[in-house]
Amino acid sequence: MRAYSAASEETVRTRNLLKDWAGEGFLTQAQYHQMEQETGCELRRTNIFLRLVLFLFTLIIVGAAAALIFVILQPTNQQTIGILLLIFSGICYAAAEQAVSQARLYRYGIEESLAVCSVAFLCAGLQVSLFSGPSYSTAPPEAEFLVPAAGAIASLWLWQRFGFHYAFLAAMIFVLWLPGYWTSSQMARHLIVATLYATGLFVVVTARPRYRLTYRNDEYSIAEALLWLGIYLAINLPFSPVNLLVHWWGAPPNSIAFSRPFYLVTWVVTWCLPPVVLARGLRGKDRAVIVVGIAIAILTLVSNKSYLGWNRNSWDPMLLGALLIGVAVFTRRWLANGPSGIRCGFTAQRLSGKDKSWMNIGATAFGLGSQNASILSPQGNGSDVHFGGGDSGGGGASTKF
Amino acid sequence: MTILTRLEQWRDSSTITSEQYTFLAGLSHGEPFSLFLELNILLYIGIFAFIVGLGWTVSTWSQKLGDVLVLAILSALISACFWYCFSRAPAWSSAETPAPSLIFDYVLYLGSLIWSLELAYIENRFQLLSGQWDLYLLVTACLFFFLTYRFDNRFVLSLALSALAGWFGLNISHWPSHQDATYRRYAMLYSFLVIVAGAALQQRGVKPHFFGTYLNVAANVLFWALLSGVFNREGHFVWLLFLLAACAASLAWGITRRQFPFVAYAAVYGYIGVSAILLRVLNNATAALSYFVFTGIAMLVMLILIARRFGREN
Repeated sequence: MRAYSAASEETVRTRNLLKDWAGEGFLTQAQYHQMEQETGCELRRTNIFLRLVLFLFTLIIVGAAAALIFVILQPTNQQTIGILLLIFSGICYAAAEQAVSQARLYRYGIEESLAVCSVAFLCAGLQVSLFSGPSYSTAPPEAEFLVPAAGAIASLWLWQRFGFHYAFLAAMIFVLWLPGYWTSSQMARHLIVATLYATGLFVVVTARPRYRLTYRNDEYSIAEALLWLGIYLAINLPFSPVNLLVHWWGAPPNSIAFSRPFYLVTWVVTWCLPPVVLARGLRGKDRAVIVVGIAIAILTLVSNKSYLGWNRNSWDPMLLGALLIGVAVFTRRWLANGPSGIRCGFTAQRLSGKDKSWMNIGATAFGLGSQNASILSPQGNGSDVHFGGGDSGGGGASTKF
Repeated sequence: MTILTRLEQWRDSSTITSEQYTFLAGLSHGEPFSLFLELNILLYIGIFAFIVGLGWTVSTWSQKLGDVLVLAILSALISACFWYCFSRAPAWSSAETPAPSLIFDYVLYLGSLIWSLELAYIENRFQLLSGQWDLYLLVTACLFFFLTYRFDNRFVLSLALSALAGWFGLNISHWPSHQDATYRRYAMLYSFLVIVAGAALQQRGVKPHFFGTYLNVAANVLFWALLSGVFNREGHFVWLLFLLAACAASLAWGITRRQFPFVAYAAVYGYIGVSAILLRVLNNATAALSYFVFTGIAMLVMLILIARRFGREN
């Protein structure tokens, strides 16, 4: 099922770890070079920037080539268009397989872009050939769920076959569309999405232990984290993407009504999930699950007043900020006071060169992005003072003071 | 072969010591597990939420609280942040200096953001420099640059660079509506100044690790400015020449220094600029789509060659 051999992917993981450790000074440069040479890998890889650009240009080529064929052939029949799209899907997938098996591309951008295009063409082809034009009247409308279902299955296949993390996320997004074809009840839609994600979570959690110490652990870790996040978002009614889809389809914001018991149960679940996820992440030392645990804990705090219909106060974000800072400082001190700065197998020290790079990039990006933070007024009611503008001044000053 | 097996082999062949083996074998399965990144993310979100709440509270309650109380609270917060940083900072060094504690960088960042908030409040309420509001930006940029170099802080460097951009009149959200030559000239001047200043400081060995940030910010501003010229109806060929020259410089820099973001800038900005000119003369769909197919393939081949020759690893 896997496009790459286990040995190749294990070697890639080893090389990544070596680079990480060398970056943090746990290996000397001489040791690193010798160990790197001894872990030769036949897969072709590139850095993240070239990978992104290669992805973009492959997307341009595939999109333009498909459009060019339509311009030249000028098909008028919907089914012909649909079949052409399905053929493009097949060609793109075959090209992605070739790029991997012949050119040995690994996270190179090109094979990723081809694989992504194959799923996009598949969904568009199914939609156009089965549910557009004259044939639409013969096809039962409830069968339209086949399009997102095919998208979800194809995305899961890409995840299994090539190990693209984002393919798993894409599959989860496709799943969001499914219940809309089955029921008009909002409560049922939330429950169906949550149940499907929970089923996925059960499968992933069951399969994980056998990959614990292998290169596939990261893949399953991210999948599990995404599923926890998906379940939480399906249950957290004020933030749920299921509601967003309903709004996109044109329903007014107040049209979504839930029964009171269901509403209260989901509120209770939003408080129960974060400690469960955090505990699981910490017990398994699983970074992705820990991060999702933290994220949903913050979301629970942020959405609590919306849930209960209470008024927000202007100082609420300050209290949240103070709480988060307090938790971080307390945790850091608690860990630092342990023997060698370690408690229960956890430390606040940096142990990866990659963390330093992420911090540097994050500090620059967040510094540039947060230039408005000090002058934003989310709900400036009750005052004639409005701090606007400052779009580019870190000092918060601009022509729109 | 798993990482543990390889580590055992390297220990047996004396490539690594037994202590290294024990430590690295532990690290490979999360023993110890570092929460460094998670704690930093918590701190950043905490600071961000705090400053948003402070800004919201000030704008909502300023009339009830009164200017004196608002300014006193903001000034006290700024003083506390800066006192904390100055009292705990290690002696200045021109080399990269690690922060003395996890929270240190964030306290400085918080102080800088509150400074911005207080200036915005003062100008809004008292209009002390009405008509010359941009002086606030210049003063703020100077202060932030000082703090950046004193405390070796990238958050504040980004704030300083954006404050300086603001003083030059660059406003990201208004960019599409500002196609005039003056705006473009200021953007180019800003980029030039930032590159020269960054290079000069690097040459003198003053916090040379900041040079990458200078270059990235300046390159993006410069490319945006040049692209806006290329999209102009008149005189676009001159701007295209400037753009191609900038792309060539960016590509050369990226390849020689293994700084691949610059290769990506050259490819993407250059392609957009050239396409914008050529698509003006290609007025039918077949020609335009053929253009994208063939030039896309050409770009792909060039990038693969670069990737194979220079950018093999992550």
